[in-house]
Amino acid sequence: MKHLKPANDKARQLIEAAKDGKEDEVVAMTTLVGCTTSFDPGWEVDAFGGVAALCQPMEADLYGCSDPCWWPAQVADTLNTYPDWSADAPAAHEDWRNLQSVFPKDKG
Amino acid sequence: MGVFSRALVLGACVMAPLSLSAGTAAAESLTGEQIVATKCGVCHQKDTSGVIPRIDEGRRTPEGWDMTVVRMMRNNGVDLTPEERTTVVHYLADTRGLSIAETEGYRYILEKRPVAEDVGPTQEFTEMCSRCHSFARVGMQRRTKDDWRRLVNFHLGQFPTAEYQALARDRDWWGIASTDMVDQLAEMFPLGERPMKVDPAPLSGEWRLAGHWPGHGDYEGAMTATPAEGGDLTLSMTLSVAGKAPVTFAGTARVFGAGEWRASLSGDGGSIRQVLARSGDGSGLTGRWFMVDDDVVGAPLAAVKVGSGPALLAVSPAYLKPGETTRITLSGTDLSGDPDLGAGVDAKVVEASAGTVVLDVTAATDAAVGPRDVSLGGASLPGSLVVYDALDRVAVEPAVTFARVGGNGGPIPKVPAQFEAIGYLNGPDGEPGTEDDIRVGAMDAAWRSENFDETAAVMKDATFAGAISAMGLFTPNGAGPNPERVKGTNNTGNLSIVATVADGGETLEGTGQLYVTVQRFVDWPIR
Repeated sequence: MKHLKPANDKARQLIEAAKDGKEDEVVAMTTLVGCTTSFDPGWEVDAFGGVAALCQPMEADLYGCSDPCWWPAQVADTLNTYPDWSADAPAAHEDWRNLQSVFPKDKG
Repeated sequence: MGVFSRALVLGACVMAPLSLSAGTAAAESLTGEQIVATKCGVCHQKDTSGVIPRIDEGRRTPEGWDMTVVRMMRNNGVDLTPEERTTVVHYLADTRGLSIAETEGYRYILEKRPVAEDVGPTQEFTEMCSRCHSFARVGMQRRTKDDWRRLVNFHLGQFPTAEYQALARDRDWWGIASTDMVDQLAEMFPLGERPMKVDPAPLSGEWRLAGHWPGHGDYEGAMTATPAEGGDLTLSMTLSVAGKAPVTFAGTARVFGAGEWRASLSGDGGSIRQVLARSGDGSGLTGRWFMVDDDVVGAPLAAVKVGSGPALLAVSPAYLKPGETTRITLSGTDLSGDPDLGAGVDAKVVEASAGTVVLDVTAATDAAVGPRDVSLGGASLPGSLVVYDALDRVAVEPAVTFARVGGNGGPIPKVPAQFEAIGYLNGPDGEPGTEDDIRVGAMDAAWRSENFDETAAVMKDATFAGAISAMGLFTPNGAGPNPERVKGTNNTGNLSIVATVADGGETLEGTGQLYVTVQRFVDWPIR
C-alpha cells in the first residue's frame, strides 16, 4: 500500500482504517447473526464499520453482486441458483420493486 | 438457464423427476417414505447394503431438511407439490433428525433471535463458513465424512465466488477446505445415531407459559393442546401482558423427531410461529415465538405442563427497592404453599390459584441488595427477584444490531429493531462491565436516535433512516433509491440509539448502535 496514494474519499477511509486497526473491530462486530462478514465493501456494513461506504444506492450495482454470485447468502445469485431472479427487473434502479426474496414459504 | 444446463455444472442427475410430475390425486397421497423411494429415489437409489446415498448419510433439523428439499426442487428439478414438500420434510425430520441436545447452543438460528452472536469454534471455521452464513447452520448438521466432502464440493460448484469470500486470494483455500476442514467437520459433527421419534400424544393437555416480550413487558399465558389428525396438535393460546388486554391465538403444532415443536397460530395479535424444544421428560417446552412476517417481533417462551408437579416459571415484576411495596405475580403450575422471598422481604398473598399467585411484597429498608431466590411450596426460581436501591447504569440491549429498509411498494417488508433499556448494578467490585454486575431488568425509557458519527451526520442518517417509537421499536424507512439523498442513496444509516431512564431523582442514559442497512434477497429458514 505504501506505493499507492488514495484518489478518493473511500480510499482515504481505507488507508485510515487500516492504520488505526479498525478493520479488526469490524470483524468482531459482525458476529451478529444474519450479516455477512465479507467486506469489499460489504453487504450490510462497510469495511469501516459504517454504511456510508456501501455501494449506494444498492440498486445501482446490485447485478454486479447477483450475476457473479458475490454474496450468495444475502443476494440471489443468477450465476447458478436463481437464473431468472432479475428477469422482471432489467434496470434494478427503476424496477427494484419486482425483485423478490427467494425462499418459498411453506404451508405452515 | 434450465435444470439441464445446471446439471453440467453440478454433474448431477436431474432427468427422471420431470417424468414424475403428474400431480394427480394419487401422487398427492404419497407418504413421506414413498416420496423418498420414488421421487428422490430416481437419483438416490438404495445401494446393495440398503443405504440411500446422501439421504441416509446425513441428519438435520426440520428447517435443514426443508432447505435441502427446496434446493432439490429448485435446482435439480424434483417436482413436488406443496403438500408433498411438507410430507417429505416431516418424514425426513422424523427419521433423520437431531436430538435436542445436539441442537443446544445453536437454537437461536431456528428461533430467529434477532441479536444472537454467531461465532465459529475457531477462526478457521469463521473464515471458511460463517463469512457468508451462520455457523449454527453448520453445527446443526451431522454427516458422514464423504458427505461433508461432497458438501464442500457442492459449494465450489454452486457458489464459485465462495473461494474469494473464503480468502482464497491469500491462501490455499481449496486445499484447506477439501482436506483439513472435512477432517474436522467429520470429527466434530459425525453422522452418529438417529434419535428416537417421540410420541406427540403425551404433549396434549394444559400448559402454563411465561416470558419477557421485548418492548411490551413480562407476559404469562395458558395453552391447550388437543390431539389432531396425523399426530398433530390443535392449539389455543392466551398471552397476557400486565395491564393490557389478553391476546388469543389458535392453530396447529407439529412435533418432529426427538421433540422439535413447530406451531403456526393466528388471532388477535396476527400470525405467529412457535419454535420450541421438548424437554427430556416431556413436561416442558422452551424456545421463542415470533410474528410470521416480522420475526424480530416476538419473545422467548417457557412452558410447563399442568399436572407435572409444582413449578415456578416467572416472577413479575422482578425487582423492587428497599422500603417499597410492590404487587408481584408468580406464574407456574400446581402452585400452593407459603411464599418465601428471603430475609428482609415480606410477601402477603392477595390472590392464589394453581397457575398464578399474586403477592404484595414489601422490602425492608435494610433488605440486602442483590438477586434472591423466590420459593412457593415445593417450587423455587433461583435469582428471580432483585432488590436494588439505585441503578448504577443503563445499558441499551441489543448493544449493536441492525434494521433493514423495505416496503415502499416492494415485496420485501421492512425489518425493524427492538431495543430495551436494562438497568444494572455494578456489583460488589463497583466496576461497570465486570462479571459481578447485577442485571436488574428492563426499565421504562424515553427513546431517541442520533447520528452515530461525523460521517452519519454529513449524510443526515438520523433524518433519513427511520424513527424509534416510545416502546423502543425502530422502524426503518422505505426501500429503493432516495432521490433526496446524495447519489440517490438508500435510506440506510449508522445511528446511536439513546435510552433515558428516570431512577429516583437521577436520570441515566444508555446508548446502543443501530445499522440501518439494505434488504436481503435470500432468506432461508436457517440464515
